[in-house]
Amino acid sequence: MRSVSYVQCVALDFAASLFPHAICLGDADKDTLNELVVGDTNGKLYVYKNDDSKPWVVRSCQGMLTCVRVGDVCNKGKNFVVAVSAEGWFHLFDLTSLNSKHPDASGHHELAGAEEQKPVFKQHIPANTKVMLINDIDGDGKCELVVGYTDRVVRAFRWEDSSENSDHVSGQLILLKKWLLEGQVDSLSVNPGPDGSPELMVSQPGCGYAILLCTWDTEQRDAAAGRDGSAPSSEAPARDVILHQTSGRIHNKNVSTHLIGSIARGSSENSVSGLFALCTLDGTLKLMEGADKLLWSVQVDHQLFALEKLDVTGNGHEEVIACAWDGQTYIIDHNRTVARFQADENVSAFCAGLYACKEGSNSPCLVYVSFSQKIYIYWDVQLERMESTNLLKILDCDPEFGSLLEELGIDRSNDSAVTNLIHKTLYYPEKYHLSSPSEDPAGTESSAHCSGIQDSL
Amino acid sequence: MSPWGRCPLVEDSFSRLGSQSNVYGLTALPGAGPGAGPSAGAGAGPGGLLAAALKGKVLLFRYLHFQPRLRPLAREMQFTYIPVDAEIVSIDSFPKSPPQSGLVVGITFIKDSGDKPSPFLNIYCDYEPGCEFDLDSVAQSCLNLELRFTPFQLCHAQVRVGEQLETVFLLSGNDPGIHLYRENPGSHQFEEQPIQLLFPELQDVPSTVLWLDVRPLPGRGHRLSALGCQSGFVRAARVDEASGAVLQSWSVQQDGPVSTVLLFPLPRDRNQDPEDCWSLLVSSALEAAVVYRGILRRGLSQPLELPGSRGSDSVLCAKVTDVDFDGDAEILLGTYGQELLCYKYSRDDPGDDPGGNSVDPGDNSGANSVDPGRFRPLWSRRFPSPLLALEPLDLTGDGLRELAVVCLGGLHVLQHSLEPTARLLRERLRREVQKNREKNREKNREKTQNRRREEEEEEE
Repeated sequence: MRSVSYVQCVALDFAASLFPHAICLGDADKDTLNELVVGDTNGKLYVYKNDDSKPWVVRSCQGMLTCVRVGDVCNKGKNFVVAVSAEGWFHLFDLTSLNSKHPDASGHHELAGAEEQKPVFKQHIPANTKVMLINDIDGDGKCELVVGYTDRVVRAFRWEDSSENSDHVSGQLILLKKWLLEGQVDSLSVNPGPDGSPELMVSQPGCGYAILLCTWDTEQRDAAAGRDGSAPSSEAPARDVILHQTSGRIHNKNVSTHLIGSIARGSSENSVSGLFALCTLDGTLKLMEGADKLLWSVQVDHQLFALEKLDVTGNGHEEVIACAWDGQTYIIDHNRTVARFQADENVSAFCAGLYACKEGSNSPCLVYVSFSQKIYIYWDVQLERMESTNLLKILDCDPEFGSLLEELGIDRSNDSAVTNLIHKTLYYPEKYHLSSPSEDPAGTESSAHCSGIQDSL
Repeated sequence: MSPWGRCPLVEDSFSRLGSQSNVYGLTALPGAGPGAGPSAGAGAGPGGLLAAALKGKVLLFRYLHFQPRLRPLAREMQFTYIPVDAEIVSIDSFPKSPPQSGLVVGITFIKDSGDKPSPFLNIYCDYEPGCEFDLDSVAQSCLNLELRFTPFQLCHAQVRVGEQLETVFLLSGNDPGIHLYRENPGSHQFEEQPIQLLFPELQDVPSTVLWLDVRPLPGRGHRLSALGCQSGFVRAARVDEASGAVLQSWSVQQDGPVSTVLLFPLPRDRNQDPEDCWSLLVSSALEAAVVYRGILRRGLSQPLELPGSRGSDSVLCAKVTDVDFDGDAEILLGTYGQELLCYKYSRDDPGDDPGGNSVDPGDNSGANSVDPGRFRPLWSRRFPSPLLALEPLDLTGDGLRELAVVCLGGLHVLQHSLEPTARLLRERLRREVQKNREKNREKNREKTQNRRREEEEEEE
């Protein structure tokens, strides 16, 4: 299995503990560059920018923060930072104004006025939150807020604006639906279904998943039609959760499972069913297309606790990134080519995505929260390709190279002749090649210096 | 603004070593199988690497060719007769000089069992026909030699004995001295032989030799050798191989241990004597790395500093290889400060930095023979741990040299960025094809002219 090392790393100060979902990357201040948002168990919210080891913004929330996300949860065309605590406090922060008010981005905002420190909105929702998703789950083009709970419940909310003034945040979250599942929900994701419309997908123990149906539109219609809702509603809980097991060969049906959907596959996005990946704590990784098509399955001997997607090769295909508690990270492409990376320390939380660490632009990053009061961001983790290759293979399907070889009278199928030509052309370019081809610049072959030169004498 | 550019090489693979390695812990394997042979450059098939870690483990790295895939493979080699409590000091390997054939691997280690550590040299070599290059069987046939000194660098050199070429092991020790191990043709066993018979220039060293470099001088059957000592002593010599006479010898005392000495030809002008270009790179644990240019003419009198080579902690390893495909070799330095530094020699615009890098610019004014060239930083690349050893060689079998880097944490293999290299290759081939066409056209024109002339003559 191929392993790689990354060198470009910055360490951020983070002297607290956090829940594994209380970390995310996103553009919180509308400058097109992504920030890192982290929430801790004391209710502090930190936003990091660039390679600055101190947080750019610190805010206080109520309760233990279990999940933080950045997204357009109010459907106002701008991102908010959303922090939810285990006790059920939902906080909205608007950091877009900070960027415009304080053009000198170097300044920290810890000393800002108490008024600014407060969330722009706070509401109590049911407690025991665990995971959160901001996405369009019903295909209406607007974002919903989905929250997964430790008591196997998932709730979907929608932001209802109460004022016409679009600048001011006033309104509230309205509960759309509540689903009850059989097993713990470790991740929430959205994946295009067979008809191309978004489907809300949640992970279920034992490498399983469930699709949660968004039935509020039909229910509303039913209600509007004045039908009696009592009879169908008794059946509804059974129908709106469609459980899938991905394989019968699961060793432990209770094992914690993570899931990520909508994995981009570049321009060849002709089939409608989305790609999604699953991973389990006992080391199973799967990539699926639709409900029944398993693209690959990989078994590793590490405890995978986080699953992300990230395009590390820059070809438009997102790779699946899975991280284990000991820092071992697997990067797997759609063809099941694996590259491993070992972070130096044990990890308490992991995320991957675009972050503007240096050079004023977003680059693919791997973010590890260690147990030693540091967050390590490996930035610009690009790989040229997932699979090892050489120049012969790169040129193999190049028609121009073929015709050049033909003109030079070299048989393309003769690998050693082509290798020889490559070596001569690159290491002995014209000026030496033509004037004195026999005079090997002795010593450039430091690996085999003795024999080669004396042989030619 | 940093003078360093961006490294054109990208990492293809990283393999962890179980424990740390050291500066003598990497050796290149020639392409496997008889026929692939040791012929330098393109002829050899994809090579491999042996990386030795302190705690007695040796890692074999090579690329496997599964059509249509290429897969890096790193596996632990089980070399026999290395006790569990052994700590490996150095490793080296070479293919035997023709007409003999076979792979020889040497490993020195110190077995520390209680009160007195005992050093050993193990030489692995298989004589079974068909198995001479099979590393797995080579690793099982071992000659175990106990040493009376602490081993340091283990390297090899080719010597001419009569009409025969032979490759021998050279091992430096803390006694201090350099020891020679040569295969006895009768018993097929390696044995120590006095160094002065074959390498008179390597005897009488004042301090432990940390690095030794021996290179044949093309043309007259001469050889160049250089050694650098713990005390900072550096010596270079030119020896006539046939008579064993030391023709020239130069020495210099530097400050601090010398980590590497490396003999190499500087890129030269067309009209320059080829012997003028031989230079010596000396890297030091405390000082900046320097190059003594044209040592055959000027000896070790005019060091030229590599700018910035002191800025990243001690330089631990160095290699000279062409990384930008212009036909001239660049200098690569690996530092304890986790940087790989690349320098390019340039003669142009001497006015830009008038002798600034020369350590004694006073010499520059008088002697017009002084080369105006200088080394300029080309690029640098950071690594996750200190660099210990470098080896440029073709591992993927495409004619390009990859760069193997042993760091404290493991073995990195860097590869040329392939798309730009493919573009460059196509461009050069296009030019060559164009030239061929022109040549052919000219030939045809000449032919037709000749024919016409002949016809005219006939008519007359």
